[in-house]
Amino acid sequence: MRHYIIFFSFLLMCISMHAQTNVGSVVPPIDSTFTAKLTGEFFYESKQYIGVQNFNENWAQSDILLSTGEMIYNVSLKYNGLFDEVIWMNTSNFGKFKLDKSFIKEFWLKYEPSFPNHFKRINVSEPDKSHQPDIFVEVCTEGKISLYIQRRIRVSGTETIYRNDAYRNFESLESSPVYYIKLPSNQYLKLNRIRRRTFLKLFPDKKKAITKIMNANNLDVKVEGDFVKLIELMGKELF
Amino acid sequence: MILSKKILFLFAAQLVALATFNIRAANVGHEVAYMQTDRTTYIAGESIYYKLYVLDSETKKCSDISKVGYVLLQGAGSGSTLKVRVRIESGMASGSILLPDTLASGAYQLVAFTSAMRNSGDRNFFYQDIVIANRYDKELKFKIVNSIAPDSNFMKTRSIESAIKTDKKVYGLREKVVVNLENMASQANVAVSVYEVPPLSPSVKTIVETMNALSVTPENTQKLIYHSPENKAKLLNGRVLDVVTNKVVSDAVVLLSCNDTVPNLQYAATNSNGKFQLLLNDYYEGKELFLTIRDVPVGQQWKIETEDEFAQNQAWNPILITSSGDFKDYIVKSQNVVYINKSYQLNNDPADKPKLILNPICPLFYHNTGTTILPSDFVSLDDFPEIVVEILPQVVISREKGKPRIKVYNTLTKIFNKNSPAIFLDGVFVDDIDKILGLGSEQIEKIEVFEVERAFGDLAFSGVLSIVTKSNEILNTKPALQSLRLKNDRVNTGGRLVTVSPDQIQNKDLPIFKQLLYWNPSLELKGKDSTNVEFYTSDNAANYMIKIEGISVDGSPISSSTGIQVINQPNVTAK
Repeated sequence: MRHYIIFFSFLLMCISMHAQTNVGSVVPPIDSTFTAKLTGEFFYESKQYIGVQNFNENWAQSDILLSTGEMIYNVSLKYNGLFDEVIWMNTSNFGKFKLDKSFIKEFWLKYEPSFPNHFKRINVSEPDKSHQPDIFVEVCTEGKISLYIQRRIRVSGTETIYRNDAYRNFESLESSPVYYIKLPSNQYLKLNRIRRRTFLKLFPDKKKAITKIMNANNLDVKVEGDFVKLIELMGKELF
Repeated sequence: MILSKKILFLFAAQLVALATFNIRAANVGHEVAYMQTDRTTYIAGESIYYKLYVLDSETKKCSDISKVGYVLLQGAGSGSTLKVRVRIESGMASGSILLPDTLASGAYQLVAFTSAMRNSGDRNFFYQDIVIANRYDKELKFKIVNSIAPDSNFMKTRSIESAIKTDKKVYGLREKVVVNLENMASQANVAVSVYEVPPLSPSVKTIVETMNALSVTPENTQKLIYHSPENKAKLLNGRVLDVVTNKVVSDAVVLLSCNDTVPNLQYAATNSNGKFQLLLNDYYEGKELFLTIRDVPVGQQWKIETEDEFAQNQAWNPILITSSGDFKDYIVKSQNVVYINKSYQLNNDPADKPKLILNPICPLFYHNTGTTILPSDFVSLDDFPEIVVEILPQVVISREKGKPRIKVYNTLTKIFNKNSPAIFLDGVFVDDIDKILGLGSEQIEKIEVFEVERAFGDLAFSGVLSIVTKSNEILNTKPALQSLRLKNDRVNTGGRLVTVSPDQIQNKDLPIFKQLLYWNPSLELKGKDSTNVEFYTSDNAANYMIKIEGISVDGSPISSSTGIQVINQPNVTAK
């Protein structure tokens, strides 16, 4: 009996081994050659700042959906909130490149693989006003109404610091997210800060219903997580 | 002792497993080609209508691996005469091959295959002998392959998986024929051909015979080079060689671009065997391909060689026989039919317009805009060095060891880049800057410059200089030694539905002589529901064969045929 068990377990092992060697040895990894190529210009970091200019300080394994509809998987990216650019670390030459913005439709920073930060390129220009350039925003919730956050980093001031035997001026950076609510009419509402009163002013006819949702779910608009939850619930209940 | 017995036992078990599953694995995913043609005898100037099936040898169903197929026509001992590439969708493809008027009379062979089939040698290729006669050949002394006369009982219905019935067996001239096809299997896709039966015909295997023959064909033990299945699009295979030593060069970067208004690029590095592969998607359809090698070391001479995807292992040298008098009479009749159809412009071939491909993915070299200069905005300048001096301050042309070199000023580093930029002329990566030096304001429409270093995949370039000319000057240039220029022909299409229209039938002044009454490469049979096919007879009184071949969704080959007779009476029913 033991012999049979050994025989069949070995048989199964051989099948699996063979199945892998058959594919691995015969089919060359041609897909890597045929995937779309990322394009961008060299990213020079000539200026030093106080504070961080990237949304993710460490390189995150990321996936990119290109404007052509093609996907590129597992590339090292950082989202630079100061310049609103995606920085790519080309591991073959260790060069840092600022990817061509118009070539990127969406990307996923898999800093925490199970909860990737999903970004997409949008244009928030208003029809009658001057055309604004595209921006990258983090997708928080998408539905009848959607919430996007531009993970903007801005210069907050200048600090003088003693460094390398001299006093030098450095620009200091701070996180300054901008919130965009996309309505069913495809119109974008912009919020530089999330405050209860400012938010309710955006929806004068739904003020009571929104307040009701906030109270029922114990949501504090000032807390980003609660704000995302509120937009989700509004999409389900009010639109 | 016990341990050694166990080891011996395990070793034996492994051998058994490997032997068993090696045989199975060898057959998995093998493709087999089958092609149905509208006829077997043609006159030069006519078209061959075909339907190609690419089937999985294991499941017998349509293969979903290969997306590209190859069909070639080769003459006896003379090599390939016509080559067409076909787009396979769900394991099937159809089209028409126009036979040039200049083809010599004789025996020919159609070969159909996919790249993946080469992994089994050529045993899964499809071969069909045909006869082609030149329209102006009056002597008809050519020989044909061993052919057979039609069965005296050709009117008898032969059916496998599909019943075929006609409303009558004898028809008059210009009379409607209704054919009822009843599928015995599940849903199926078939091709239907109704053609005049020639007195002699090269033997034709049915799809059923082809699939049955598969199981008895011995496995090819020949050592074969692996061919990647073309499961996305056509693969351009090639290698890089040292011209002097004729040795293969590994790690060379081969660049591919096409004439366009935008710079485009694709690249591949050669492997240890000096081989490279490039994927030719829809963007490259019908375009001229410009291949070059990046950064050939000074003092070395490298060249690119591409594989002939149509290459056959052996030339076709069949045993030929002299044709009979009956057959010659048939050919003379066919020549006359073609002559009449040409004179009255009654060709079967519907306008074969290339299929419009919407927004094919172009491998753009950049997606942002650089500094754009329009020479027409300035005074006219004679050549490119003069343009650089006068209107392109960010570019310099210097001479190093007697050779001109272009450098771009990097606005971020505030110095000129060490290396030359990527230079494009009319969308094509330029292999020799001499090609742009002679271009002046009269020729150049637009110049675009990127000063900063740029990445294209794993390749880095010290800026970009793109020149677009008014009259595609790149087409007038000769490729450098390390470059190659070749045409990527469009995929073959056409031959969708061929039949005599009711309007033509009504026109009594029009002589309608057809030897092919009906051709439909893709007829869907819906389960057990019957399907009707309708067509008209022409003014050509003869015996006709109705032949259907196809495959059901569950992998059952379908093969049916029956005969009808067209007699020289206006309308048999009316009489």
